Amino acid sequence: MYRKQVRRRRAVLTLLVFSSFLLLTITYGQSSGGLQDGLSTVFSPLQAVADRALKPARDLVGWFDQTFEARGENSRLRDELEQARAQAVAGQAALQENAQLRELVGLDRGPVLAASAYEPVTGRVIGRSPTVWHSAVAIDVGRSDGTQVDDPVIAGEGLVGQVASVQPSSSRVTLITDHASAVSAKVLPGGAQGVVRPEIGNPEDLVLDFIDSARKIGVGQAVVTAGWRAGDIASLFPAGLPIGEVTRASIVEQQASQQVHLRPYADLANLDLVQVLTGGRAR
Amino acid sequence: MIVTPKIFARLAAIVVVGVLLQLSFFSRVSLFDTSPDILPALVVSLGLLGGAMTGAVAGFAIGLLTASLLAGTLGGASLVLLAVGYLAGLFRERFEIHSALVPPLLCMALTLVAEVGFAAVELTLGVDAPISALVVRDTLLKCIYAFFLGWPIYLAVRRALRPALVEEPQVTRRRRQPTVMGV
Repeated sequence: MYRKQVRRRRAVLTLLVFSSFLLLTITYGQSSGGLQDGLSTVFSPLQAVADRALKPARDLVGWFDQTFEARGENSRLRDELEQARAQAVAGQAALQENAQLRELVGLDRGPVLAASAYEPVTGRVIGRSPTVWHSAVAIDVGRSDGTQVDDPVIAGEGLVGQVASVQPSSSRVTLITDHASAVSAKVLPGGAQGVVRPEIGNPEDLVLDFIDSARKIGVGQAVVTAGWRAGDIASLFPAGLPIGEVTRASIVEQQASQQVHLRPYADLANLDLVQVLTGGRAR
Repeated sequence: MIVTPKIFARLAAIVVVGVLLQLSFFSRVSLFDTSPDILPALVVSLGLLGGAMTGAVAGFAIGLLTASLLAGTLGGASLVLLAVGYLAGLFRERFEIHSALVPPLLCMALTLVAEVGFAAVELTLGVDAPISALVVRDTLLKCIYAFFLGWPIYLAVRRALRPALVEEPQVTRRRRQPTVMGV
């Protein structure tokens, strides 16, 4: 009796371990297809209800956390405000000049406004991955709202990520802090181009790689999506979407490129509402 | 633990509610820039109360459900959490739980095992991005949160599974009657 029990136990354990490895092998680097679709279809309404029901509790915990952080942030924000005032004055002048130049060359759509060719669909975040190794959120808009895989996702402040998989009424969004994420970007002003990648474990820091070490990059410069196009192939992200602000730039020894660190504009740790830019394929 | 269809339904409900709570609440709050991860603690509680097999199967199911709903490659989380559940169950089968501190301490220790396991799986599969030292801080904070959340989770799971648990008789120490000198 005891031996039979031990044998059964070993068999179940072996089966579970084997299934785990099989799933890893089959689904590595791609969506799990039917299983994920099915489970997400069943669970996304439950997730939406849980999200709404737990919002007051989340806000309460958030209030405690923000109270701790607010003390340290106060002085930093004062400094930033001073810098922002100076930049705003410079920005006003640049805007005026920009409008005049647009009229001159007959452009009615700037690089930032290229995003308006997309149809923005607003969605609410209903779930978030629990581990730092995968940065993904679930949102409550899906195929029925026009969302497609690879659609860019933005929040009020800037780029958030891209749609990784779509179900009828929900989608999974891979954030720009996920290790699989890479976004071609450029630094403004100057236009130095590189690829924005995450630093795992630190959602407040992104790394802009492959920047020529001869280009001078300064703290506070803005980084936006590059939005390149080469024949039929184009970047998944439209040009000009704000990504973040340069916090430091360091030249890597014995390398021709420099590593630029930036802080994302979007508060990726506290996402609540996002916009999916749909219809990009139709452009 | 005797798993009847009714208890199986309760176990399934615990798994679903646990995963939903994690994805919709705990992953979305951050204290000191780290979100608590209750899933290893939940698996540990199920392993401690139900034994190695219950722990392993629950760990596998929780990992599969979480990965299907959000956290990437299927199989990785299942493998790690099934090991965590099995280890918790083995502990229960080999040692007596004498102190109330055992479940939270075990939750903390096995959360560390789970976090190291998640990292090992991801690094084995290949990670292109640089890794921040903050991952270590995140792991340690998750372990501390698991210690504090471990006890309420254990109590809640024990309450939910009470009809299936084989109650151990409480050993109460009898107070010795005072002896009267000369009697």
